[in-house]
Amino acid sequence: MNGASPVLIGFLVAAAAILLVMAAIARTTTEPPETQAAVTSTGYRLRKGWLWALAAAAVVSLAISLPSFPYGKPATLAGQHFPVVASQYSFELPPAVPAGKNVVFDVTSKDVNHGFGIYDPRGHLVAQVQAMPDYVNHLPLRFTVTGHYVVRCLEYCGIAHAAMQGAFEVR
Amino acid sequence: MSGPRRIMWAYLTTGIAVFGLMVLVGLAMRAEQAHWVSFDPGSFYALMTLHGSGMIVALALCGMGGLWFIMDREQPMNQGLAWAAYGLIVLGVVAVILSVFPGHFGAAWTFLFPLPFVGTTWPSWATGAFLIGVALVMAGWTIFCAQLLGCVLSRYGGLRGAMGWDLVFHHDAFLRSGRPEPPPAAFAALITAVDGLFAATGGMLVGVALIIHWLDPGVAIDPLWAKNLTYLFGHTFANLTIYMAIAFVYVALPRYAQREWHTSQVLAIAWWGTLLFVATAYFHHLYMDFVQPRGLQYIGEVASYLAAFPPAVVTIFGGALLVYRSRLRWTMSSMFLYAGLIGWLIGGVGALIDATVPVNVSLHNTLWVPAHFHTYLLEGVTLFIFGWIFADLEARTGAVSSALTRWIVGLGIFGGGAILLLGWYVAGAASVPRRYAEQPAPGPSIAAWASVGAILLIAGLIACLFEAVRLARTRSAEPAL
Repeated sequence: MNGASPVLIGFLVAAAAILLVMAAIARTTTEPPETQAAVTSTGYRLRKGWLWALAAAAVVSLAISLPSFPYGKPATLAGQHFPVVASQYSFELPPAVPAGKNVVFDVTSKDVNHGFGIYDPRGHLVAQVQAMPDYVNHLPLRFTVTGHYVVRCLEYCGIAHAAMQGAFEVR
Repeated sequence: MSGPRRIMWAYLTTGIAVFGLMVLVGLAMRAEQAHWVSFDPGSFYALMTLHGSGMIVALALCGMGGLWFIMDREQPMNQGLAWAAYGLIVLGVVAVILSVFPGHFGAAWTFLFPLPFVGTTWPSWATGAFLIGVALVMAGWTIFCAQLLGCVLSRYGGLRGAMGWDLVFHHDAFLRSGRPEPPPAAFAALITAVDGLFAATGGMLVGVALIIHWLDPGVAIDPLWAKNLTYLFGHTFANLTIYMAIAFVYVALPRYAQREWHTSQVLAIAWWGTLLFVATAYFHHLYMDFVQPRGLQYIGEVASYLAAFPPAVVTIFGGALLVYRSRLRWTMSSMFLYAGLIGWLIGGVGALIDATVPVNVSLHNTLWVPAHFHTYLLEGVTLFIFGWIFADLEARTGAVSSALTRWIVGLGIFGGGAILLLGWYVAGAASVPRRYAEQPAPGPSIAAWASVGAILLIAGLIACLFEAVRLARTRSAEPAL
């Protein structure tokens, strides 16, 4: 199973719940009908609850996610910097980066937009940033697992996009 | 057939024809990823470009035709302008097709500058043909939006009346005045027109810059500026296909449920939110551009979340309430309209997950992205369009499809569609990148069973087409829609 699997499971559970509820509502059309006024009166009360539940979920999700944005604080950007240059269809990468220390990839491109996607030794996408011409994106990271990391291009960049790969070691 | 109806059916049939062809292109791409067939990457990416641009235009055409017809009944519009918009879009589609066959243009429909000009394998004229084709589509879209805006503004007393300002803030006085309240579909029309013009402006800005660069490569374009405008246009235009098609649900579903869908204060406020959030959520496409101003990243996540509230709390909830304990007649139309609400909601959940920045780090540009947008486009917008088409056919003929036919069509379109979609979700969660002609494991094995789902889906679509033709050939009374 992959690191993103909890996301998949969460999504599937939500999708199944939606299907069940909507199917149950559809089935009520076989029951004796109610007037629209009666349904609306109860429905509007339910809607208020539904609104507050969604609002609470959104606030919780924002509260958890906003502090975890990956853009780097001054402290993390003070780590050891490694330049990364992408071009059709290869990466110029450091051969190795240290584990357990703050590192920063300074990512740019010589030609078109590329994606700098880092896959850990188990093949899971653990970090990414765009490689853009005329700009340098700073990606702060701290590797805790040593091993062979594969880099794939994650922004469509031309005919050999799928073959654009690189690798580095974390020691 | 009346003039307005002829216009609607011209848009619908053209859109459905393009849609059908693009479904086959999509199957070819998925089969190639499954190693069932083999063609070179250049052909794969040319087909990918055709599929993306063709599908969006197909859905837009259907939405435009239906919404134009609905609003024309509120306030008659100039038919010549509607035909002009149609003609420009068809010309644009022809130019895009020429750029791919024989031009082999393969930069994707939302390409990021400077891609179509650097390291390309297709001739320069193909790039020009694609750019001009998209510009023609945008010109037709702009005419449509301007016409729609004029319609709602003149019908409901300017922007204040069309937005339901007095309905919300001076409710009792508004009711006493006897002024017509804009029906729910009019809000869809207003928001489509305003956000559509906004998106077209952004698209035209970057489009003209790209055409100038094509003519004179010495003219410089900032890649981040181009990326922002590309997504502003692409995201908003694609989103508006949903908001156009929701008008079909507002108009047709109440007829089957034998209830009414009123414009409430909450509905008006919800559409104000949609107006704002559809135009600002596009920043989530640039989460992985760390040089983007930080504040825009926060706006991207907040606007993406807020964009979900109007559909979830008002339109989809309202649709469910309309159906609950009603005398709803289950026909092909009502089945599609109701199922489309489910697809929209489920796809929205997938999109919200992806719009959460720390999660986006592991999902951005993986197959999770086509997973969620196919969910609300294929099992949402497309079903609303089918629901509208069958609503018209059923109203014209008085005939309905048998339960067996509905089961066959439903199993193919919902069952096959679910398998197809699940393939993208599973592969996306497994970090398989999108837009790869040759995918790393487990991409190909997932693509294989997803292709089976695509074939079942196509079988359902063919059954649906036969049923639509059967109904269309049934002679009947006056048009009722």
